[in-house]
Amino acid sequence: MSAVAAPLHVEANASPPRLLPPDATYGEVTDIVASGMERRFGRVWWIALGVSLVGTIVMLASIWTLLSEGIGVWGNNAIAVWGFDVGNYVWWIGIGNAGTLISSMLLLTRQRWRAAINRYAEAMTLFAAALAGLYPLLHLGRPWYAYWLAPYPNTMDLWPQWRSPLVWDMVAIASYLIFSALFWYTGLIPDFATLRDRSRGFRQVVYGVLALGWQGSSRQWKHYKSFYTAMAALGVPLVVSLHSVVGLDYAATLMPGWQETIFPPYFVVGAMFSGFAMVVTLTVPIRWGLGLQRVITAEHLDAMGKFILFGALVMGLSYALEWFNAWYGGNDVERDLVLFQFTGAHAWLYWTMLACNCAVPQLLWWPAARRSAALLLATSVAVNIGMWLERLLINIDTLTHGHLPARWGFYVPTVWDWTLFGGSLSLFTLLFLLFTRFVPAVSIHELRELARQEGAAR
Amino acid sequence: MDWQPRAAFVGGGEPQPAIERPDEFVPAARTAPLDRRTLLKLLGLSAAIPLAACAPPAEEIVPYVEMPQGLLPSVPRAYATAFELGGIGTGVLATSHEGRPTKIEGNPDHPGSRGGTDAFAQGSILSLYDPGRASLVRHRGQIASIDAFHAAVAERQSEWLATGGEGLRVLTGATASPTFHRLKQALQNRFPKMGWHAYEPLGAENARGGAALAFGRRLQAVLEPGEARVIVSLDADFVGPGPEQARLARGFARRRIVRRAAEAGAGEPLPMARLHVAEPTMTATGASADERLGVRRSRIDAVARAIAAGLGLPVEAPALAPREAAFAAAAVRDLRAAGPRALITVGEAQPPHVHALALAVNGHLGAIGTTLRLAVPGDEPRAPAASIADLAADIRRGAVSALLILGGNPAYDAPADLDFEAALRSIRFSARLGLYEDETSDACLWHVPQLHPLEEWSDTIAADGTAAVVQPLVTPLFEGHSPLAILAALGGRLDIAAYDAVREHWRFRLGEGGAAPAGAVDERFEAAWRQALSEGVISGTAGTALVAVGAATLPVLPPLPGADTAAMEITFHPDPSVWDGRFANNAWLQETPKPVTGLVWGNAASIAPGDQRRLGIADGDEIAVEVDGTRIVIPQIAVPGQAEGSIALTLGYGRRAGSIARGVGTDVTPLRRSDRLWQVSGATVGPTGVTVELAVPQGSHAMEGRDIVRTRTVAQVEAEPPRKAAPRKPATLYPEYPAGPYEWAMVIDQTLCIACNACVVACQAENNVPVVGPEEIRRGRDMHWLRIDSYFAGSQEAPRVVSQPVPCMHCEKAPCEPMCPVEASVHDSEGLNVQVYNRCIGTRDCQSNCPYKVRRFNYFGYANGQEFADLGEPILHAARNPDVTVRSRGVMEKCTYCVQRISGARRAAEREHRTIADGEVITACSQACPTEAIRFGNRSDQASEVNALRREPHHYALLEELGTRPRTTYLARVENPAAVEAGAAHPDAAPKAGGAG
Repeated sequence: MSAVAAPLHVEANASPPRLLPPDATYGEVTDIVASGMERRFGRVWWIALGVSLVGTIVMLASIWTLLSEGIGVWGNNAIAVWGFDVGNYVWWIGIGNAGTLISSMLLLTRQRWRAAINRYAEAMTLFAAALAGLYPLLHLGRPWYAYWLAPYPNTMDLWPQWRSPLVWDMVAIASYLIFSALFWYTGLIPDFATLRDRSRGFRQVVYGVLALGWQGSSRQWKHYKSFYTAMAALGVPLVVSLHSVVGLDYAATLMPGWQETIFPPYFVVGAMFSGFAMVVTLTVPIRWGLGLQRVITAEHLDAMGKFILFGALVMGLSYALEWFNAWYGGNDVERDLVLFQFTGAHAWLYWTMLACNCAVPQLLWWPAARRSAALLLATSVAVNIGMWLERLLINIDTLTHGHLPARWGFYVPTVWDWTLFGGSLSLFTLLFLLFTRFVPAVSIHELRELARQEGAAR
Repeated sequence: MDWQPRAAFVGGGEPQPAIERPDEFVPAARTAPLDRRTLLKLLGLSAAIPLAACAPPAEEIVPYVEMPQGLLPSVPRAYATAFELGGIGTGVLATSHEGRPTKIEGNPDHPGSRGGTDAFAQGSILSLYDPGRASLVRHRGQIASIDAFHAAVAERQSEWLATGGEGLRVLTGATASPTFHRLKQALQNRFPKMGWHAYEPLGAENARGGAALAFGRRLQAVLEPGEARVIVSLDADFVGPGPEQARLARGFARRRIVRRAAEAGAGEPLPMARLHVAEPTMTATGASADERLGVRRSRIDAVARAIAAGLGLPVEAPALAPREAAFAAAAVRDLRAAGPRALITVGEAQPPHVHALALAVNGHLGAIGTTLRLAVPGDEPRAPAASIADLAADIRRGAVSALLILGGNPAYDAPADLDFEAALRSIRFSARLGLYEDETSDACLWHVPQLHPLEEWSDTIAADGTAAVVQPLVTPLFEGHSPLAILAALGGRLDIAAYDAVREHWRFRLGEGGAAPAGAVDERFEAAWRQALSEGVISGTAGTALVAVGAATLPVLPPLPGADTAAMEITFHPDPSVWDGRFANNAWLQETPKPVTGLVWGNAASIAPGDQRRLGIADGDEIAVEVDGTRIVIPQIAVPGQAEGSIALTLGYGRRAGSIARGVGTDVTPLRRSDRLWQVSGATVGPTGVTVELAVPQGSHAMEGRDIVRTRTVAQVEAEPPRKAAPRKPATLYPEYPAGPYEWAMVIDQTLCIACNACVVACQAENNVPVVGPEEIRRGRDMHWLRIDSYFAGSQEAPRVVSQPVPCMHCEKAPCEPMCPVEASVHDSEGLNVQVYNRCIGTRDCQSNCPYKVRRFNYFGYANGQEFADLGEPILHAARNPDVTVRSRGVMEKCTYCVQRISGARRAAEREHRTIADGEVITACSQACPTEAIRFGNRSDQASEVNALRREPHHYALLEELGTRPRTTYLARVENPAAVEAGAAHPDAAPKAGGAG
């Protein structure tokens, strides 16, 4: 590992933003990340842990009520057969998309700044996808028969119904969950080895087992690199297909507002958009809480801000296309639905959604806004809210405003809808807090590689 | 599900010997030998295990070891019986599974039904098993026995014998039972001074009074709308809810059917009749009208006079508003042209002189005898009973020492000025026979539980005099007593059971005039009796009530009241769901959406949209209605076609007793007084500022310019030839299903639908559709497999309400099928879109993609562990159709085209190596429909009725542009407007949107 002179690097790129402290050595980079998790955690962490633990218990109570009483405890009804359940599923799976997308796509396109954020983005993916997977199970009228969705040999000689987008969806979620867990773990192996080497006693044994005997030999690195890149190459189409299939749940129907060819790509972009926003929403507190300002720099914020801005533009375009197609298609039912979205019972939610998803991110045209942690956090939270509203409205607007006006309905969530949603947010937070405690939130080995590339490592 | 076996069963046995009545103080049922019928009843009962626990048979339990001849387990039997409402009997067939009555159908042999039924008859099954029914004799609220009651009566008998029944009064509802009237006569002979009173909250006093003015006799008008080319209805909702709904609606429909495909029916179809309706609120009749005038109830009199004057009767023509005048002129023109084929009818709410005037107009047109006949009312074969007002006055005078109330619920529904409940409490000895322990029972000393019509022997007569025997299908589930037996007991005859009384009466009636020796008469009687039981009609009685009348006398018309347009008018109407409140404990009927508004579980004041704007209120806001210091608070709902300045209230809600009924809706009786039973003018109406959430399952009533209910004029339809070939099928990517010998299809004629809801309740009874209750309806969860959507069209001044029954469409390319991940929603070989409940995991994906939204999800175990109110009581399991699965929580369900009936017919056909004939499978909705608007059959059979209907020029499929290829299709609503307006198009403009519960 020979040192590369900094000037050479500067010459190669006209004005490359530096992503690491100019004098960072391998050891320092490692210390920055590892010390964040090795030091004593403050009161804030414990309070957050307590609150999210309580929220998680509330979620369990909500699930218990749901299973013992029935779906009737929710606000779903004969017309709005889907509400928070499917809306939250799509929202969570959208968030779950971004981590892998960031990791693999940015890896393949050699975006070096990815190194600082990909680890927790992947963790976010894993947790969000797991939570997303919970909703389709819970939303069933008879969840104990969920396994009927799987193609398993049985005495009834029955397989799932392959024409159903729900079956595609189930396969997509299952593959995606397996993939993202593997991808995340693969990325963690060298870091577990680092932690093993830095710890003592029981921790060392645990990290040692998790490191799978990683030695850091050149041969291991060679295999590791090709395997990791190959997974990334697999990941990108998987992510795209996953959210396309979610889009097909809607697009393969004949309901107004759903039966649109734009849905698969629109869902993929929406997922990336909401996922990126969630990454930013997590970045700011992690950066502050773990003291990672030196590795997650304003440059990182700037890059992510640009992504959100780009996503907002594409989402705006998608919405505009939906409206245009409704008008251009000449179908009264479609036109009426668009009118309903703007003026109907849920119009204020729709306007809020447009403001959050399209208007607020325009702030990020200004570099100063992108580099301000507070402003960026505010924007990303707005986008999270906006995308959640979008997922909810996709369900309830179409369902409550279908083909026959006599069967136009309404949707009002109940306390059990809210507790399950709030509880899933709590569980997500809980998992994340534990993650920051026990797993390096930033990829140490990739930062070291970055340090080498930036020529700072000695 | 055919009803041939009943004739074979009842007619095929040995004639049974006459039961000897030992003259002792023991009820006959306890000593009578076990005849075959009783034996079968007991056998059936013992087979129904849940019931055996609830109602042990009184005499003997016979194990089901030897199968009774002709009774096959799992093969339902139908028995003919009859129901009575407001003194008019309607014949029905009750289906019984192993001794459990589970379904009511109309009796095709009975003139009051002709196979159709109304919602009340359909709902009566639930009332039979209602756990809220009275089951105990009570004395001052404490449990007592019937023997104690008999002893209490016996104590007073010597006193009555001595005084001739001084102070003894009996209050009944309108009852047309000839046996009842015979017993009543016998009692009157015994106690000549006793008093008889009758009260029906929705009675016929005005109509009878009108006939008395016109003909000098209290007669009952028997309408024959099937004979009329022009019908003018003045505030008469004759196809709406009521005792004669099934008969009148079928007659009306006969003249409203528009068919171009000549092979459809036998002979040339009749020209379409035209219906003119003037009414204060939108009723089923008004919704069917070709010409409709929304006008205050107080102005109907003037319109009637104008029509009479226009036709040349010596009546002074009153001053009319332009719209009223136009209506009257059109009515006059059509009435005159139709002559004896015209019919003008007036609602009970109008005063007697308007009824008399209408009778005179009918007489003038020569219509009496063709479109309208007159009959002796079944409930007052001799002198009319005294009124409840007289009774209340007598009680206050202290002239009543003992009062027996048979049926009815006067403490709740008597006019408010009588304060009947207080009067009742002041009587020394008061007893009440009732199906429920209700407000009246509470005010009486004694309560005696009554038998349900499916548990008792009785008889009844239809409007024209056709008599029918009411025969029990099941031994009483709870302790209960027949009014006949109670009447007999009052006369000291504890030995007379209802069965004996009815037989005795008909033995007397049928044996009348026979000069044969006694034995021969008996034999003839037994044969006639068996025939009467098997057919549900006593032969030779049809038309016996009809009387010939002379020319109608023109009544002396009082001066018209001045048009008081400033004050609000309140009108009272029967409720389409609970009638006068007697069905308020029936959850099926409570959950039956009212026509027009779709409201369930409660009543709301109908108000004109203009008045709503004027008061600054919206649907669901409460209003306070105050008349002479009496104030009620009731939510209101805008109704198109409601006369401005008039508010319509329905009776029957705000009950203070009943496991289901209590607290539902608002009692409007406090505003009703003896002198203003039907309308009050000068009411003060104002908003209270409180808004309640009405339970309305329907979303919007506006068609939003979409092609949902098509409307054509009869001229337009007649100008088009029937279609030769089926229209081209829309493209599809999926392969076509192979066509089999059966392709089930349904065609619904929207011209004929009167939104009577008989189909909705029939479907509920047939398919074990659960009740969800008001809270679940407010949450937007209804379970009816078949719903009737009502849409408001036309202009604000001349609104139209169109009704569209929507069952599952059974799409050939069903959007639900590819959505289901587990193949619970599948297509079967006969083209049915079936739902496999056992396979369903409840993703609800099918309903999300159903453009018709006909699927229903069990959010809770509505039928299975989480039922509404007391509907989960074990006894109610007996009401269920054993051929239909009861769905559990978390499962999607929907209309199956009554697949159990199809299977039944297929099994029968396969046994005989033939295919199912056209008309052999009738769905529950189609069978119940009094207008025969719903037709069902096999599309593969080119000669089938549904194929003929599908070739009609006005045939179409709902949302056919989606390519779903529905098997349920529609005939456009055909209207027959007056010639001058025939060319005018009917825009589907929306006068009102919203009303989402």
